[in-house]
Amino acid sequence: MIPRFLLLAAAVALLAALPFLLPQGLVNAAIQMLIAALFASAYNLLCGQAGMLSFGHAAYFGVGAFATVHAMNALGGAGLLPTPLMPLAGAIAGLGFGAVAGWFATQRTGTYFAMITLAIAELLHALAPHLKGLFGGEAGISSMRMPSLGLGFGSTTQVYYLTLAWVLASLGLLFLFTRTPVGRLTLGLRENSHRLRFLGYDVHRLGVLVFSISAMFSGVAGGLQVVSNEAANYVLFDPGLSAAVVLNTYIGGVKVFLGPVLGASLMTFFGYAVSDLTRSWLLYQGVVFVLVMLFMPAGLAGLFTAAGALARRCGALALAQVLILGFAGALLVGAGGALLVEILQRLFSQDYRALAGAAATLPPVQLLGRSWQPAALATWMVPAALAGVGAGLLYAARRRRSTLEARSEQAAAAAWVPAGTRSAA
Amino acid sequence: MSDPILSLRGLRKSFGPADIIRGIDLDLGAHERHALIGPNGAGKSTVFHLVSGNLKPTAGSIVFDGRRIDGKAPQDINRLGLSRSFQITNIFPKLTVFENIRLAVMRTHGLQYCLWRFVDRNVRLREQTEQLLARVRLEGRAHAIAGEMSYSEQRSLEIAMTLAADPKLILLDEPMAGMSKEETAYTSELIREVTLGRALLIVEHDMEVVFSLSDRISVLVYGQVIASGTPEEIRGNAAVKEAYLGEEVAA
Repeated sequence: MIPRFLLLAAAVALLAALPFLLPQGLVNAAIQMLIAALFASAYNLLCGQAGMLSFGHAAYFGVGAFATVHAMNALGGAGLLPTPLMPLAGAIAGLGFGAVAGWFATQRTGTYFAMITLAIAELLHALAPHLKGLFGGEAGISSMRMPSLGLGFGSTTQVYYLTLAWVLASLGLLFLFTRTPVGRLTLGLRENSHRLRFLGYDVHRLGVLVFSISAMFSGVAGGLQVVSNEAANYVLFDPGLSAAVVLNTYIGGVKVFLGPVLGASLMTFFGYAVSDLTRSWLLYQGVVFVLVMLFMPAGLAGLFTAAGALARRCGALALAQVLILGFAGALLVGAGGALLVEILQRLFSQDYRALAGAAATLPPVQLLGRSWQPAALATWMVPAALAGVGAGLLYAARRRRSTLEARSEQAAAAAWVPAGTRSAA
Repeated sequence: MSDPILSLRGLRKSFGPADIIRGIDLDLGAHERHALIGPNGAGKSTVFHLVSGNLKPTAGSIVFDGRRIDGKAPQDINRLGLSRSFQITNIFPKLTVFENIRLAVMRTHGLQYCLWRFVDRNVRLREQTEQLLARVRLEGRAHAIAGEMSYSEQRSLEIAMTLAADPKLILLDEPMAGMSKEETAYTSELIREVTLGRALLIVEHDMEVVFSLSDRISVLVYGQVIASGTPEEIRGNAAVKEAYLGEEVAA
């Protein structure tokens, strides 16, 4: 087993080397991935660790972003802080606003808590376009990164390193938080806040504290976004952003510290890679979320945990068999599903309907450099066959896994001899 | 009796038209073990909820250690030195046993808002937690998930959590429910031991435990105390026999 800190060091080294390995466009995507990863981790502090499901976390991201854009424009454009420290403005604004919003929201728990957070975010979303001074109206506020400490911050690479440093430091702090007394109490808050009160803890204050810290790191993420984009707009308060962070966090897995990081960076990357190819990205995002919740409630991080457990019990070879079957199956099902969605999307597009109205027979759909006849059975057989074979492979992977586990259980049972019978045997 | 640590005066609680507690007067000495017995639905648990701050009384006063506590929040009452367990096991089910007890011990260390120290580095905290684990015979289960343990082990954990803050008064709501004879005997002895120099108010259905453990017993029927006295007095009380104990004790 490779020690954890070695894995961590390798990951950090890889992240540091990225700008030399990737083209400019992908470095930009990497910045977005880092920001989304931090936002999801900040969200998970509240959602996964404290058990408070917020539906309006875009509010704290947005407040952090606007605070940062104002800090950048302050003093006649010179900036309140040196450019590398700008996200600090986002952190402070997030903390402050989070404390106020959290004071109200944590008066209630469960559904009512979720509704209050949703209402606060909607309030900001509705107000922002009307408050020209604060949020720049519909056009938003733009800014410029000022050179600082001998660095120009003009290139994407420099922005990448600035983002990377902030994200790693923030994730480090969020991890250390889990080791502090308050971090342990946060778990108690999730598990049984009623009992905490009878142990003498002020649950409301604790809730506000955790809420504020989560909002603070969300504010840092918002600040980093502004430093990267040099602009902020009321769209930052969009409910879509609040929803995305929930989806990313759950897809990654709320039970593992790095789960949300994984979920958010993967989903952001796919969003970036796929948005040029398809108009159905939101549909895919939703489908991925539903599938993960149905078949892997512990998220993608849970997949690693399960793989590790299987490898320990049945060996790496068995794991490889299951993994190959599973991945091939998932890939085929994904390909079949995507093909079906894309053909349908083109069939129902306005262009196609206009075309079909003019022609006597249904014209073919152009996709992947081929013509697909909507009326031909073969057109529908391809995605169906892909998905069917894929589903078969997934089923096989599942069966393989359960037989392997049953076998190792039998082996364990056979190896175990009750203490009293050993001498007789 | 010297100054009582807990005194209830004219305590009443109604839920809408239903009067559950109908005027209770009760005094508890600073080092007294006091059992509250009575048939199901007599209001024993409600008294616990009123005293511990889970419910607000409709009328009457509760004085603990010289201070009015009726209507105060549970955490404030707990901080004055009153700790309770619950009839239905009330723990942190998905955390380890160690973590459960540590959360309870941590409060006395004033670490509620501590963000700059690591919890694992606190030696005194760990030692106290381990002592409590040993006390309730759960040291071998320190890393078990609390919710996955047997019911009686969870009851022991609950007692450990109640003891963690070194309270002046302990309220135990049916601590032995679901325990085997051997476990009951051990826990009974444990309660006797840890309540030395403290006050105890206990609700328990095991009459053997009640009569051997308590200095005094109060019998609650339909929200009123119908008798209060030493175990011998209660044993000999005709009204109690009729209302509650039946032939069980007379025999």
